[in-house]
Amino acid sequence: MTSAMFVVLLPIIVTGVTTVAVMLVVAFYRNHALTAALTSCGLVAAFLILPVSGAAAVREATALLVLDNFALYYIGLILLAAVAIVMISFGYFERRAVDPHEYYLLLLCAVVGGEVLAASNHFVSLVLGLEILSVSLYALIAYARTLKPLEAAVKYLVLAAGSAAFLFFGAALLYAEFGTMELPTIAAALNAGTPIPSAIVLAGLGLIIVGVGFKLALVPFHLWTADVYEGASAPVTAFIATVSKGAVFAVLFRYFTESGVHAHHALLFIFTLVAITSMFVGNLLALMQLNVKRMLAYSSIAHLGYLLVAFLASGPLAAPAAAVYLAAYFITTLGAFGVISALSDRDHEPENLDEYRGLFWRRPWMALTFTMMLLSLAGIPLTAGFIGKFLVIAAGEESARWAAILALVVNSAIGLFYYVRVVAVMCAGTPRSSEASTLPPALPAHWSGASALVILTGALVWIGVYPAPLLKVIQALVTLPG
Amino acid sequence: MLELLWVIPAAPLAGFLVLTLFGSRLRKPAIAMIGAGSVGLSAAIGIMLSAGFLDSPPAEHAYTQHLWTWMNVAGYVFRIALYFDALALVMTFVVACVGFLILVYSVQYMADDDGYARFFAYMDLFVGSMLILVLADDLLLLYLGWEGVGLCSYLLIGFWYKNPANARAAVKAFLVTRIGDTAMAIGLLLLASHFHTLRIQEVMQGVKEQWSVGSGLAVAAAALMLGGALGKSGQVPLQVWLPDAMAGPTPVSALIHAATMVTAGVYLIARTHVLFEWAPVVQSAVAAIGAVTLLLAGMAALAQRDIKRVLAYSTISQIGYMFLALGVGAWSAAIFHLVTHAFFKALLFMAAGVVILSLHHEQDLFKMGGLRKQMPLVFWSFLVGALSLTSLPLVTAGFYSKDLILWMVWSSPLGGPWLWLAGSIGAFVTAIYTFRMVFLAFFGETQSHVTPHRGSFLLIPIAVLAALSMVGGFIELPRTLGHLPLFSKLVETALPPPPEAHYGLSAEAAFQVVAGTVVLAGMLMAWLLFLRSPQYVRSWSAAPWGVALHRFLASGCGFDWAYNLVFVRPFVRLAEINRSDFIDSIYTSIAGANLLGHVILSRTQTGQLRWYMMGIVAGAALTVALAVLL
Repeated sequence: MTSAMFVVLLPIIVTGVTTVAVMLVVAFYRNHALTAALTSCGLVAAFLILPVSGAAAVREATALLVLDNFALYYIGLILLAAVAIVMISFGYFERRAVDPHEYYLLLLCAVVGGEVLAASNHFVSLVLGLEILSVSLYALIAYARTLKPLEAAVKYLVLAAGSAAFLFFGAALLYAEFGTMELPTIAAALNAGTPIPSAIVLAGLGLIIVGVGFKLALVPFHLWTADVYEGASAPVTAFIATVSKGAVFAVLFRYFTESGVHAHHALLFIFTLVAITSMFVGNLLALMQLNVKRMLAYSSIAHLGYLLVAFLASGPLAAPAAAVYLAAYFITTLGAFGVISALSDRDHEPENLDEYRGLFWRRPWMALTFTMMLLSLAGIPLTAGFIGKFLVIAAGEESARWAAILALVVNSAIGLFYYVRVVAVMCAGTPRSSEASTLPPALPAHWSGASALVILTGALVWIGVYPAPLLKVIQALVTLPG
Repeated sequence: MLELLWVIPAAPLAGFLVLTLFGSRLRKPAIAMIGAGSVGLSAAIGIMLSAGFLDSPPAEHAYTQHLWTWMNVAGYVFRIALYFDALALVMTFVVACVGFLILVYSVQYMADDDGYARFFAYMDLFVGSMLILVLADDLLLLYLGWEGVGLCSYLLIGFWYKNPANARAAVKAFLVTRIGDTAMAIGLLLLASHFHTLRIQEVMQGVKEQWSVGSGLAVAAAALMLGGALGKSGQVPLQVWLPDAMAGPTPVSALIHAATMVTAGVYLIARTHVLFEWAPVVQSAVAAIGAVTLLLAGMAALAQRDIKRVLAYSTISQIGYMFLALGVGAWSAAIFHLVTHAFFKALLFMAAGVVILSLHHEQDLFKMGGLRKQMPLVFWSFLVGALSLTSLPLVTAGFYSKDLILWMVWSSPLGGPWLWLAGSIGAFVTAIYTFRMVFLAFFGETQSHVTPHRGSFLLIPIAVLAALSMVGGFIELPRTLGHLPLFSKLVETALPPPPEAHYGLSAEAAFQVVAGTVVLAGMLMAWLLFLRSPQYVRSWSAAPWGVALHRFLASGCGFDWAYNLVFVRPFVRLAEINRSDFIDSIYTSIAGANLLGHVILSRTQTGQLRWYMMGIVAGAALTVALAVLL
């Protein structure tokens, strides 16, 4: 470790220091506003320090981590998402009957895990990052300590541990073949070496796909998604849907693209199959779903399937398309769960579609925001979701991934049904009097969550209408050495 | 001065906007002020501009006002521009001035209607669209006006939409004119694809320079434009909608279905006359269609009971005269008849409207009678209109225009004795059906209770139009009667002069005597048949052949029946066969397949941890197997 490495690692270090600081403050002085403010200040500081890290001459910090532009983009995305989640959570926990202080601590830990994953250049850092993230998530999901969150947490714990075991075993197989755990060495060997990877290598890669596929909730490793999304509280769900998936996707993209193995015909077939089935299974499961959180869970399965199309495309558009798509997906997912959080009260989250009936007449701004988010998820023009989907299709077309593109188009049509159905329900008349008792009370939205939603909606429209600046930044950042 | 041209169409459109947005909150006098006032503004500016135009004509007798460029794509430039020449001047004058009089009339005519604001909004939209139509510099803009007036026609025929018959009439009008409009749209595309522009003057120049006379393209383009004109102007075979269009309020019938919109076809052909000159076959067809139409419609008018339907068939027949004139190259004569027809037909409709109001919405001629004494002013006005329609020699405007047409038909190399004969028989029939109407309504026994309307808003426009129907013809006197060709001098700055005639004054005078005799004979015949000895008509219509003939004529010569048999019923039958819509079943089965997928996949969401773990394990086995084996 040289001092230059400390400079490179500053974003992760700042987040880590914030974690310690919050831990110390919480131990002595428990004030929700202070905790949340400290957390978000730390996250913002970590974000602002990213250029410092980007200006360093040598970007590798030890053999474990590399903070190249690709990593910095994903770390930046994770940090911004985390800030939004803190804002949403603050408004959410102000109303909740739960002591929230350790929540922020866990959140920061999980962010550190995500950062390590995005910068991972070595199987050791991969395992470290994954476990920091996962262990924090177990606690986060169970944070409310009532029956449903606990059930969700236990399910997630068992399944995540199981799938992580597959991933570790896969890494071990690769180590057995190459004698190293450093990605650059393995990538070089795979790129230059034997024309056909051996069966051990392929089996190892296949097992890594299992571990990654679980975290990304891809079919057939998706079964946990809806139960966990439903059980966790809305801000935590937002975190699982965005930060956790974004970090793991960065790992997937880096490991498979750098080593060039995603173009191997067997793996290509597997990824195509996974992508197409994820789209269909996700959308079909969401089709008649009446629980909004479960619906968003299934929808996220389909969206990760769409995202894989960009990953499958190996052309120069692939990395920017994936990055833009993920950014748009972050914004809309955070916005959707932000609305659910903002509509929650002391002990109830609005999950059933019926509770959204006539929302336009009761909470017009909330309903409008939710509508924007849903339209973006559906990929309607003038929203960020459209730009992302457009780029993904363009990237797929560039590499002639026609089967995947066709599935994407068909699924966009299927998806439209359940997104627009929610909008229609929100426009419909007020619920019948017998159901009126289950309505969320018309509390005014908390300023913190509301301002997060305003910012997210602004970003959504801005990217949808004028995406050029974002595209320029991303184009400059995310291109990996191939 | 001419820079104000844009205000002419803009004022009624602004009136339309105001009435649409705030009409429900305005009181009736305010609505009337905006509705009629905006058209009045157009009329005033139109008269001012016309005076300026006549006093000091612009270069080449035309003024183009380029407002903005609508689009400029791939070499096609479509401009929003107005074109003001002698033809546009005459049309603007007719539309704005007659339109203003009819709107003033409507202020009182519609006073008790709940849809007062809606009525004036539609009427303003109509006048605005019609003015766009006649002032357009570009065929695309003309088409906007063309479709705009079609829409207003639909909206106003169905104005009293609570009666399903009115709604059906509106749909019929819309659909039938749509057939013509489709042809016209194809014609516009054809022209645009060849000349890369739709500016009327450039297209006409292009036709002259690039196409040879009688070439297939010219014939096709002219025939397609003619299709549009036939639909809009209610000429055979697309005339069936116009009699039913009388379902609308009477001011609508006066303005749209007599004076202005239905003559748009005449205007279109005159405006694109080069195209028709380059397609002699089509021009001859115009003349033949005009002749057939004026005869068929005149005969049908003989058998109508409803006063408005008589007038409707009369309109079709008179527009037939205009087509006849266009077909023989007598462009200015056609436009002249358009103008005088606008005066006397609007007058007849408005006078008939007062009669209908006075009789509590009774339109049946056989339930009228003796109204001469009860409503003298209306009677005299109606009589002036009727005389102008029958073209009584020397004193009526209709005489000067129709006589001009008949003379041109005889003397033009494109005309001939057969067309002239058709026109003359038509004049005879016109005299009979017109005076049948006059005698049945105003003479004879009083049959029903009358509460005469004496509103000045109703009567002043009628009086003005009556005066115009008398003196409006003196701006164009034939060679035999003073030779004062003011109108044709003006119009011929925009349209070519008629073919040179090689007949002397005496021949023309002889034909005028013949024409006058025919008209007087027709009036005498009507007097004999319907006033002096009605028993003949009664006994003829009781005979079997009389019943059949009456039914044939009353139904408008069976066109509705034939169209029903050939087009409507087979289509309805096809639709019935496909009642369950096999194309729909494709979509429902797609939706069903998705639903089935949802149900099946939902079974996998058991909520049981062991099953979820098994899923991961199975997936892992599959993944590894595929990775290794493939």
